[in-house]
Amino acid sequence: MSRDAIVVGAGLAGLSAALRLAKAGKSVTLVAKGPGGLGLSQGTVDILGYTPERVTAPLDALGKLSADHPYAQLGADAVAASVAWLRDELGPELLAGDPASNVHLPTAIGAIRPTALAQPSMLAGNITGGRRYAVVGVRQLKDFQADLIAGNLARSSAPDGGTVSARAAWIDLPARAGEADPSGLTYARAMDDPAFAERFADAVAAVAGDCDVVLLPAVLGVKRLGVWREVAQRVGRDVAEVSLQPPSVPGIRLFDALLAKVKAAGARHIQGSLVTGFASEGDRVASLRLAAAGGPRDLACSNVVYAPGGFESGSLGVDSYGVISERVFGLPLTATDARDLIGPDYWASQKLFAVGVTTDDKGRALGPDGPFRSNLYVAGGLVAGAERWTEKSGDGIAVATGVRAADAIIAGGAA
Amino acid sequence: MRKMTADVVVIGGGSTGAGVVRDAAMRGYSAVLVDRSDLAQGTTGRFHGLLHSGGRYVVSDPGSATECAEENAILRRIQAPAIENTGGLFVATPGDDPAYGDRFLAGAAATGVPAAEISVAEALRREPRLNPGMIRAIEVQDGSVDGWQLVWGAVNSAKAYGARLLTYHPVTKIDVADGGVRAVHCYDQRRDDEVVIECRFVLNCAGPWAGQISEMTGLPPVPVVPGRGIMVAMNHRLVNTVVNRLIYPADGDILVPIHTVSVIGTTDSKESDPDHLPIPFDEVQQMLDAGEQLIPGFRRARAVHAWAGSRPLIKDDRVAASDTRHMSRGMAVVDHLERDGVKGLLTIGGGKLTTYRLMAEHIVDAMCEQLGDERPCRTAQEEISYDQGGHLYTVTHRLADREADRLGDQVLCECELVSRRMFTRLLSDQPVSTLDDLRRQLRVGMGPCQGGFCASRAAGVAVSEQAVDAERASGLLRLFLKNRWIGLWPILYGDQVRQTALDYWIYAGTLDVEHLPVPEQEVVR
Repeated sequence: MSRDAIVVGAGLAGLSAALRLAKAGKSVTLVAKGPGGLGLSQGTVDILGYTPERVTAPLDALGKLSADHPYAQLGADAVAASVAWLRDELGPELLAGDPASNVHLPTAIGAIRPTALAQPSMLAGNITGGRRYAVVGVRQLKDFQADLIAGNLARSSAPDGGTVSARAAWIDLPARAGEADPSGLTYARAMDDPAFAERFADAVAAVAGDCDVVLLPAVLGVKRLGVWREVAQRVGRDVAEVSLQPPSVPGIRLFDALLAKVKAAGARHIQGSLVTGFASEGDRVASLRLAAAGGPRDLACSNVVYAPGGFESGSLGVDSYGVISERVFGLPLTATDARDLIGPDYWASQKLFAVGVTTDDKGRALGPDGPFRSNLYVAGGLVAGAERWTEKSGDGIAVATGVRAADAIIAGGAA
Repeated sequence: MRKMTADVVVIGGGSTGAGVVRDAAMRGYSAVLVDRSDLAQGTTGRFHGLLHSGGRYVVSDPGSATECAEENAILRRIQAPAIENTGGLFVATPGDDPAYGDRFLAGAAATGVPAAEISVAEALRREPRLNPGMIRAIEVQDGSVDGWQLVWGAVNSAKAYGARLLTYHPVTKIDVADGGVRAVHCYDQRRDDEVVIECRFVLNCAGPWAGQISEMTGLPPVPVVPGRGIMVAMNHRLVNTVVNRLIYPADGDILVPIHTVSVIGTTDSKESDPDHLPIPFDEVQQMLDAGEQLIPGFRRARAVHAWAGSRPLIKDDRVAASDTRHMSRGMAVVDHLERDGVKGLLTIGGGKLTTYRLMAEHIVDAMCEQLGDERPCRTAQEEISYDQGGHLYTVTHRLADREADRLGDQVLCECELVSRRMFTRLLSDQPVSTLDDLRRQLRVGMGPCQGGFCASRAAGVAVSEQAVDAERASGLLRLFLKNRWIGLWPILYGDQVRQTALDYWIYAGTLDVEHLPVPEQEVVR
């Protein structure tokens, strides 16, 4: 049976597209190799953080980007509407904020990072001059080095120009008895038990000292939302979660919530299957080939939203001769020779990571003479023109391109 | 300004200097070892890790072959923890001259290098990834050796005999007066202080930088030409035995399994500046092609890091190179008494890591002779003591260690299984280290993720241990990322691109390392 759409990829782009399509009544199959990229991310929604100057009003700053940036084609209105749609779908327990203005949140090494929408558990961390921050680490959790974080915050100016005061404190509380080296996710799962969250809060309260905000590792529950409120209440101060390197608990919360919504809206989910090829009929993609137990399987489709990620997922690759290619369709890319796109200076721009697929204004992958196929849309990290990690732009691009593809299909863009 | 006195100042903390300072200290000389940076940061840390059986030289250089075979056996005895007994194979791949194997076996017999031909089937049984089309295979007693462990062991042994170690002390001047060496001036970079070491003898073991050192004496400089070679580390042990091409020594003909990786090398081209050694795209391609010849599918395996080292070649017509009666094969020594009429100064070039102990013996013999002392060398007899005991290295040792302490300690670097306690112990011994200095001894950040997950932890732990403040820790983290990148970008293909993208995502994307408060001055050491 041919579905209205197959969405490939369970990152922010694929999930946004799948949700939008399913909610519009389309029959959707979401195919993913793994759990997507959200669990690797900071778990907020960036629109634009740097141009390279620090951005406070991201929608206004989109105009400063070059013409081949994905945002230039999307336009600020579509970006704002898409991100606001995602926020409203996920609800205030998961995402809060205004796409038009950034908050500036501390990172797990003590830098101050702009982002547009954040989880409510993080918002008290919006670094504000004159406030006193206590950074409370957990001895058993190595990805949140409180002394380094506090030391760097204390030598920073707040984005509002004020001074920041920060100091570190530590608690000693194993997530599981006898374990010296649990991950943040282990803590988050422990925190799903209210009794553990209370013990944690009491330990934090005992060391937090004189401060306005307690900064904590982002491990305050993964299934149970709102643990941060209980902790704040027990500690008697504002608390804020600080995102850690992967596994990202806030990212996993977003993934879990979005996937649940996609399924609740009626989409079918095939997990653990790599898309390995495709078949065409005329100018259309007729089916996708999946690696599955027992042999390959072909899924017929009316439309494809291809959102598999970029270099980080292996969808874009470089071979040992320096040739860049896209894995499944062999899509035309903005560059195919990696040699001049990677340079010796770590701090310089690495153009390789902006290589990708160009699209028409509906989001269809472009070949030399128009759309590569009339029903193949691309979204997310595969879209060319952005150095997402340095700009802090990947989430906004993912949501807006996912929504764009879905809306084109909903509007009946391709038969 | 600080003043010190010593019998001998050894300049250069590579394998030659480390061997020499140990030997001199064991013979009762008061010795100071100075280096402009950390130990074994130059050529000694930038080779492929091969402990020669001698096989490579049985045809081209029989004298070297014998020396290698003898020193190989000695090092296994005195520095076992730095050495893995991998064994070695010489294999003739399709197209190689099968008759070369006969010359090889005859040469091995003549030079005392243990070697025996085995069947192709047996070679494939031992190393299934080898080219199945190979035509001959000969087993030898190659090993792999960790240059950093080798040097730190020798220097720690020297310190036990009273030698002093001054790292991050670049030499600024060497005083020569009345026909002899009088003092060495250094700059203490960490304390911003001048140090003058009055001495009777100077051994210039600065390798590719020996020419620059010789210029500081005011004597006619010794021309040293760096011979650059690149190495590519593959992410896995594609072989567990050292594999050599059974051909006359050429480029890219050795694959060495060492620690968790296997290293292919190397090339040879002349450079003008040993501080700027490129890793050109075409040479990486040459290594990959050479690897493909030994192991079909090599190009599809994951490369993890690349580096370039430089051999120190002395080009001086006035030097009797390696054929003086004192000296080891492949080593060149300028005796400045002979050349310039100045007592107390030897400049050393060339040499091989495998024979570093023997070279040191010869150099210190020459010093003793000039000083009129009779003090025999004992370095071959005395084992060097290592924390981890006296056993040969095995690649699985850290798995066993972490199995033992996993419930009581954190793993700071998952790739190389470095525990927090390993890190903090070394940090307390060497508190002014950079993360790279610690890396060379611990391998923290050297695995598949190249520091992606552990570097920020290491920086944080250093702050918590009060070794550094947050500003320096952040500077050290920036320096570490910058230095890792030097060896990453030349081999960015295959799965390492994906890894690097994830690392960028973590450092730029999530942690925003680029926007840490700007340091007043970038940390460079």
